[in-house]
Amino acid sequence: MTISVTRHPSLATALLAAGTILVFAIPNGRTQPEGVQHASNFTSVEYFEPPDQQQMKSRLSGAEAHPQPGGLLVIQQLKLETFTVDGKPELIVRAPECVYDTFNHVANSPGHLQAQTGDGKFRVEGDGFVWRQSDSFLTISNNVHTVIENTLK
Amino acid sequence: MKNRTATFLCLVGLLALASERTLRAQTNTNAVVENDTNTAVTVVAMPVAPNDNTVLPPKPRPPTLIEADGPADFDLTKRRVTYRDNVRVNDPEMKLRCDWLAADLPQDGGHVTNIVAETNVVIDFTDNRGQTNHVTCDRAVYVFEAQTGTTNDTVTFTGNARVENAQGWLTGEPIYWDRANNHLRADNPKMIWRQNFNGAGAETKSPADNTNNLSAPK
Repeated sequence: MTISVTRHPSLATALLAAGTILVFAIPNGRTQPEGVQHASNFTSVEYFEPPDQQQMKSRLSGAEAHPQPGGLLVIQQLKLETFTVDGKPELIVRAPECVYDTFNHVANSPGHLQAQTGDGKFRVEGDGFVWRQSDSFLTISNNVHTVIENTLK
Repeated sequence: MKNRTATFLCLVGLLALASERTLRAQTNTNAVVENDTNTAVTVVAMPVAPNDNTVLPPKPRPPTLIEADGPADFDLTKRRVTYRDNVRVNDPEMKLRCDWLAADLPQDGGHVTNIVAETNVVIDFTDNRGQTNHVTCDRAVYVFEAQTGTTNDTVTFTGNARVENAQGWLTGEPIYWDRANNHLRADNPKMIWRQNFNGAGAETKSPADNTNNLSAPK
């Protein structure tokens, strides 16, 4: 089962590339996953504001999603990607598991997280995180370790 | 002001030469240079190392590591990252500790252009002569700007700023570290030159009660 959540319903079809089975989309772009026991290939996409509304701002995906009460999804094998307005990959975040709030578009987890910029020159990892999809804001809670390649002189 | 600054720089240079030549016969002594505290801006040049014109082939540079015990915020809209609680920066040329640090996220693998470190800032950096400099201050601001023909690559230390190396120590408000030219200078400076003429390992005592004790270089 594939679940796709998008803030831009007109582009939902394009995001459901392979094996689309079910989309829980309501007119305002929110999802209502109650009643679903298990889903795979979860994807949630945020787009830039006009005039760049065709450009993907962030994509949050997971190998599996387990719906919980209150519009929450427990996502396994999280992969979060953010993009620049010209489509270049900006940040790629990976975590074994997180809880995603489909109403507020916030993901969080007490577990480990790894992230890197699109060019791989900025890498960071830590324990515990919160990702606010609406304003592209990531907080890593503890034990933050960053590696920056060849930036300072 | 330029004339006054140049004059002062010359005086400092002469003092350094005089200290080296005339104090050889004396016991361990610190040469103290204090500016007039009523002076608005006085600049003192503190040599870090001479510029080396030798052209060397570029070699791979080890990465910079930033670690923190507390949270780090990545604002991708403003392209800004903030670290809190026991922040440690380990760079091939510099080690930094502080309680709070913010840096911009470089675009497309570019250069970090702004870093601000605050609260209990301690920096140890090695100049291109291999000399270690120890800096303490309340706030350090790193700025990098590359424009046509010129590169601004500076760190400004404020708040009880003090730089200490084998030659002595410098306090000022603020102290500027020109990384592009490998040069330290300060406004409202006070400099204490470390002199040791009785062999390595000797302890140098400050003659004035308003200066600090200074250990001779080992």
